[in-house]
Amino acid sequence: MSSRFPAAVAEPALSARRRRRPLLGLAGSWSAPYLLLVPAAAVIAAVLAYPLYYMVRLSLQHYGLFQLVKHKGEWVGTQNFAQLFHDAEFWHVVARTLAFTAACVSLTMVFGTLIALLLAELGSKMRLLLTAGLIFVWATPVVVAVDIWRWMVDYEFGVLNWLLTFLHIGNYNHHDWFVNPWTGWGVITALVVWGAIPFVAIMVYAGLTQVPKELVEAASIDGAPAWQVFRDITMPLLKPIFVILISLSIIWDFQAFTQIWIMLDGHPGPDYYVMSVYAYQNAFGQSEYGLGSAIALVTVAILLVVSFVYIRQMVKIGEVE
Amino acid sequence: MKARISAAVVLAVALAVAASTASGSTRQSTRKAAANEVVVWVMTDAQNGWPGALTAANNAFKAQHPGVDVNLQLQSWDSLLQKFDASLAAGSAPDVIELGNTMTTKYMAAGALSALKAGNYPNSKTWLGGLKASCSYKGKLYCVPYYAGARAVIYRKDMYAAAGVKKVPTTYGQFLTAGNKLMKKFGKNSNFSAFYEPGQNWYVAMSFVKDWGGDIAVQQNGKWKGVLDSPKAVQALTTFKSMVRKLSRASKTNDEAHPFPSIPFAKGRAASFIGNGWEWPYVFNPKGGAAPKSFASKMGAYPMPSHIKGRYMPTFLGGSDLAIPISAKNKSLGADWIKAFTGTASQKIIAKAGNIANTTTLADVNKHNPALAPFAKAAKYSWFIPTAPNWVNVEKANILKTMCTDLLTNKGSVQSVAHKASQQITKILNAKS
Amino acid sequence: MRQSRMRRVGLNTLALFVFAVMIFPVYWMVATGFKRGQDIFSDPPVWFPFHPTLVNFTDAIHTAHFWSAVKNSVIIACAVVLLSLVLAFLAALALAKFGFYGRRAFIVLIIAVQMIPLNALIIPIFLVLSKANEVDKLSGVIITYLTFVLPFTIWTLRGFMLGVPKDLEEASMVDGTTRFGAFVRILLPLVGPGLVATSIFAFIQAWNEFIVAYVLLHSPEKQTLTLWLASFSTSRGTPWGTLMAGATLTALPVVIFFILVQRKIAFGLTAGAVRG
Repeated sequence: MSSRFPAAVAEPALSARRRRRPLLGLAGSWSAPYLLLVPAAAVIAAVLAYPLYYMVRLSLQHYGLFQLVKHKGEWVGTQNFAQLFHDAEFWHVVARTLAFTAACVSLTMVFGTLIALLLAELGSKMRLLLTAGLIFVWATPVVVAVDIWRWMVDYEFGVLNWLLTFLHIGNYNHHDWFVNPWTGWGVITALVVWGAIPFVAIMVYAGLTQVPKELVEAASIDGAPAWQVFRDITMPLLKPIFVILISLSIIWDFQAFTQIWIMLDGHPGPDYYVMSVYAYQNAFGQSEYGLGSAIALVTVAILLVVSFVYIRQMVKIGEVE
Repeated sequence: MKARISAAVVLAVALAVAASTASGSTRQSTRKAAANEVVVWVMTDAQNGWPGALTAANNAFKAQHPGVDVNLQLQSWDSLLQKFDASLAAGSAPDVIELGNTMTTKYMAAGALSALKAGNYPNSKTWLGGLKASCSYKGKLYCVPYYAGARAVIYRKDMYAAAGVKKVPTTYGQFLTAGNKLMKKFGKNSNFSAFYEPGQNWYVAMSFVKDWGGDIAVQQNGKWKGVLDSPKAVQALTTFKSMVRKLSRASKTNDEAHPFPSIPFAKGRAASFIGNGWEWPYVFNPKGGAAPKSFASKMGAYPMPSHIKGRYMPTFLGGSDLAIPISAKNKSLGADWIKAFTGTASQKIIAKAGNIANTTTLADVNKHNPALAPFAKAAKYSWFIPTAPNWVNVEKANILKTMCTDLLTNKGSVQSVAHKASQQITKILNAKS
Repeated sequence: MRQSRMRRVGLNTLALFVFAVMIFPVYWMVATGFKRGQDIFSDPPVWFPFHPTLVNFTDAIHTAHFWSAVKNSVIIACAVVLLSLVLAFLAALALAKFGFYGRRAFIVLIIAVQMIPLNALIIPIFLVLSKANEVDKLSGVIITYLTFVLPFTIWTLRGFMLGVPKDLEEASMVDGTTRFGAFVRILLPLVGPGLVATSIFAFIQAWNEFIVAYVLLHSPEKQTLTLWLASFSTSRGTPWGTLMAGATLTALPVVIFFILVQRKIAFGLTAGAVRG
């Protein structure tokens, strides 16, 4: 009874019983899901309902500092959006953000999953050490972590330049990593991926602990190689978690701001504009909240489109009949 | 089972609410008597740099208003404006707020600050012209000058001597010659700069522009026009570019805060740099340059010389002002606190901390301090940014910083780089508010 | 036998390598906390503080409002973790185990809510909380953090719940428990690892968040540790040693929290092994 997989023998009896007995024991069974949702929904609605409405309203207004002080916006309809779409730079920024997000998400998922698999294979002491290390990385305040990376690649006193020169890989003295956008983005991507790996690794590892060992062992006793076991047994069971992690990573990496801002000392050049930086430079940093709200809505729209496939999966998985 | 879960939920919520409001309850009761406190927003710079001035001001204020609390809330420059905007939007602004002198025009034009009478504030007749200008809009006064900073050249006396520079340069030509001698003597070390000039230190670049008679933007017929592409400005920028490429090995993409030049200077990588008064003690500050105290004997300072004989190159007059937002709850208490903080007693402390006080009557406070006197001298020739309401947007968009980097990394001719920046400045300054 | 030992050694070496690479920046942070001023910007770099000093740590602890910041951060983080676990578990149940009208819309909605850039919401949220008199109060911050943590937590717990075979609940219901009883007795322990992972997430989000706390909390005695850290940076330079010491102190409680709860993850794995 308590084994993870009641033998197929028990199946027919169960399903017969299932058909006879009504599923729910709660009074007013149709209301059960709504009741369960109410507390969480109430909190979210209390804080976000009005701000969401307000934000949509703002996107249709010219609302800068002058309007803010007077508490009165100026209706301009879709002008904010038109201004965005006619700005050639805006489209470059969108493309750059998509490329950056794709790079970060794929690297994070690959390395995070590999580390999770490693964690599952380790003895408990080593696992605790590695996990504690990952947690320490995750726990480091983002600003401080970026400060450290900024320091490591510093032009004047950076460890990286010193190390590369010391190992005779080249003369990296006074090497400026951000003059060339490719190396600059390389550093920023490495930083973002480094910060994101612990979260993914730990979540995937938690998912792996739910995969029944018997299944895996049975398959490998049958002679299947490790990667095949992973592909055929583990992956399908982990699918919901992967879908969540990928869509979340897309959402978060698309909006990455702090890493870029602090790495470039608060003055990124146009080559380093992604959506969040563009929004800050052109809107929020200039107290232009109408334009900023328009950019926010466009960001949501783009993200919905980009993660559409995953969202559809999310909704489909676990459809209750 | 359900009951147990519900009970747990209720308990958790109750605990959380109790914990969070418990610490809030004492503040709540004093909030209700709002007239018993004055809310002051100043930067952490004050607490870190001249805490004595804050204490003096608080004591003076408390002596005047015995029952009133000073609710001092220290702010950081980074996200200040978003926080201030939020409080303005909600009508809950502080009673006193410190604003950088390049930000004030925008808030004055937007009507966010209360109009003030100069005569009510100490030393108003002798306020520094540059600071007073940043507090004036359409003939009215909207804030009180707090302090200013001027820049001068900080240099290594021993390195100058070793390179054969016998006198402190008093003209730009002499400055260049000295720089060349230094590079000849020490330049083989690829870390060495005769004059450490970070690429995005636009304050120095603009000092050149002003010295050669150019400007950043001028107002014509009520419209602003960026004029960095004028012949005089282009000449100045060309001179600046060739100087930096000859004398400086600093990064072309970093600004004057990453790192503060005091640090490479303390490590022997620079013979000189242009910095604020407080960057002198930063050389020995264990949290900064961490140089030993004996290093001071090797240091000196002089105002950056102009190419025009008998003058100094104009230095940017940075600084802060103190304002009372229009929706502040206790305007008169705020005014009294400002009076205390900008009074002579506090200003003296501020000046001794390496700043320039807001009044010319205290200009000689540091006369006998060789570390601070040159900066006060340099303030004699100063320049300020165009007093356009949208100027702060130009700074936020990093137009001038990007221009400097493009200039120094040869991303086009001086003329084209300056022209591009001028167009961007024109667009931003004239944008509808 | 030897193969398995070699495999063990190989895996451990790999784990150590991964550990070293990942932890290096954090090591640098901790080491800098112990360095003297002249060792911080030095050429060549000082890899290990052979002349360690506790000055940075004592400076950090003695700054004003350090202990109140610790207290505030602890209260906020614990409240957020507890409340989000309870609320999210209930909501995830609804989404994972029931079919109902509006289910899809709700799922898409909570996903979409996470896509909104925070910068655009700050002022409207401030206005709402200001009207509700929740500015400069820990409770205002807690409820805001909940809003941002719940979508992810609900979504993830739902994912974990979907990974648990249905038969187990049904088997227990055959025994006569209600469906809800089955949820709590069977499902809850099995999604234990998911609960732990999401609680760590919620804790870290609440612990390290900056901009919302910065805009909502004004009084110095209400500041959180993250705000306290930010106050080290001035326009006149940042005391790196003190900042890194402060950052180390800020990160420690999270590591401690993790060590306290991490057994729950391991439990799931060993439980499966036992049942073989």
